[in-house]
Amino acid sequence: MAHDLGFWTLQALNALQLSMLLFLLSIGLTVIFGLMHFVNLAHGSLYALGAYFAASLAAVGGYWMGFFLAPVAVAGVGILLYSGLIKRMRKSGPMAQVLVTFGLIFVLLDLTRIFWGDLALAIDVPTLLGGRLTFLGVEYPTYRLFIIVLGLAIFGALAFVLSRTQIGAMIRAGVDNDAMAACLGINVERLFFIVFCVGCALAGLAGAVAAPLLSVTPDMGLQILIPTLIVIVIGGLGSLKGAIAGSLIYGFVQTFGAVLAPQLASVLIYALLAAVLVIKPEGLFPAKG
Amino acid sequence: MFRHNTLRYTALVLLAAGALFQAFTAEYFGLEILTEILILAMLVLALDIVAGFGGMVSLCHGALMGVGAYAYAILSTKAGIAPPVAMAGSIALTGAAAWVIGAIGSRSHGIYFIMATLAFGQMAYSYVFEAPIFGGDDGLGGISRLDLSVIGVDLNDSRSFALFCLAILGAVYGASVLILRSGLGRSLTGVMHNEQRMRALGLTVWRVKADVFGLSGMIAGLAGALAAQHIMYISPGLLSWTVSGEALVVVILGGLGTLVGPLIGAAAFVVLKHELSSVTTYWHLVVGAILIAVVMSRANGIFGWIESRWGGVFDRRLADATRKQEPEEALNDA
Repeated sequence: MAHDLGFWTLQALNALQLSMLLFLLSIGLTVIFGLMHFVNLAHGSLYALGAYFAASLAAVGGYWMGFFLAPVAVAGVGILLYSGLIKRMRKSGPMAQVLVTFGLIFVLLDLTRIFWGDLALAIDVPTLLGGRLTFLGVEYPTYRLFIIVLGLAIFGALAFVLSRTQIGAMIRAGVDNDAMAACLGINVERLFFIVFCVGCALAGLAGAVAAPLLSVTPDMGLQILIPTLIVIVIGGLGSLKGAIAGSLIYGFVQTFGAVLAPQLASVLIYALLAAVLVIKPEGLFPAKG
Repeated sequence: MFRHNTLRYTALVLLAAGALFQAFTAEYFGLEILTEILILAMLVLALDIVAGFGGMVSLCHGALMGVGAYAYAILSTKAGIAPPVAMAGSIALTGAAAWVIGAIGSRSHGIYFIMATLAFGQMAYSYVFEAPIFGGDDGLGGISRLDLSVIGVDLNDSRSFALFCLAILGAVYGASVLILRSGLGRSLTGVMHNEQRMRALGLTVWRVKADVFGLSGMIAGLAGALAAQHIMYISPGLLSWTVSGEALVVVILGGLGTLVGPLIGAAAFVVLKHELSSVTTYWHLVVGAILIAVVMSRANGIFGWIESRWGGVFDRRLADATRKQEPEEALNDA
């Protein structure tokens, strides 16, 4: 193993790329939880749906059609779920929600198998992003750099919306104290709905950008779910800061763990999660003080 | 506190009679399914004790069962320890692991407890998957069953093994009732309803949670050791979080906090799974839809629904009891 500077840069870029993918998923899940106290285990299934929509649309109209339309389609599925199930489960306890969304995982898993079959699908990287770029002295696939840039751009946009705009202030008020926010005339239910749709769309976007990197299989949603949950529990539920911090911690621990201590890599992240739960049970950056 | 009533006794007698009938009349395939039900029933009893009577909704019980199975396999095949001792060892080891998880998780509540147990379960899963001693993805084979030839029973015969598992399930059920009726079990229910009150009464809350979680883990370990002997082969898939999720589904389908309900749930789940998978490969779809329907109907599973509908006919006391404990409340407490 050549442990020169280029090697570390390469690994850091890999870690960053994994972090950004997880960030796209966890931000939706964590803000939905923070605002609605709703645990959506089916979030990973929405990511898988995003990948499938992207694969189908890419076959018709090329990669960019999938990239732009898959999030919209997943948000549409989210609207159906919201009005059919989630609205009625809002007042139930966390366990009932966990169970309903667990059932939803089963249903969505088999629906994707029925519509798209069991075989893995693959889509090509768009020609625009197909090559490699020399970046900080290393050659790195342009598409992976694109994911990093996309993740950072979405982080920036969300940070701006949440901290500088009126709707951001309303969301923060809702996370902080939804009853008081409702008293001040904010339509909290509609806010929930918007946030839920945006969260679903981001999950779909994550699926669409992940599709060319990984093969698209029915169980890809189950595989990504646990890392996403780890990210939001380490980071603290409900906060943007927690989601980005948790994603970076997960990405770097996972990538560098696999390089430096391959035997321990998979246990390391769970041990870290256990340590966080013991020392700070509400996570590193919880939304509420 | 857990109480028996006429309806629960009736259900138990019917279940035992059904199991015995199946054990003596069924062919090989039917006996395999019966054994699968009996082992799953032990696991869901363990889960019902902590989730239904302690509000500790665990997503690591499948992993605990896997730990028991791997402990038995390693002790009996690699370490060369006699099967009965290996079984006792695997139960003790799983109990100890569960005690530690319960102690660490005792500060977390609700969704955080679910996440914490999920993390520990996944930790065990990835460790077993990675470590070479456990055979990785290939799993471990060549696991032998207990040798009961001293009393003239050959456990390699599937009928004897099914009856053996039934006897053990009976003992596990009895032990669960004893645990729930003991001071420990009553303290646990007290903690579930109001942790602060119990603390003010001078109870060491984390010890109660850890002790019950440890006992529940021992039952899961026993189920694991039996599962390893049943299939005589184990793979890391046993520890996957979806197994824990399915166990939770069975408890909910049967009726949380009723002990009898999860037994019915286990039978219904395994039969449904086999019937559906012979008709369609998409049985997850049906099970998922049923789960969503049961939880949204706000009934406490199959048995909870039977109790609230017909319980009063059998038993006047129950008519009051069910009215007092709404399933909704039981779910929200968790």
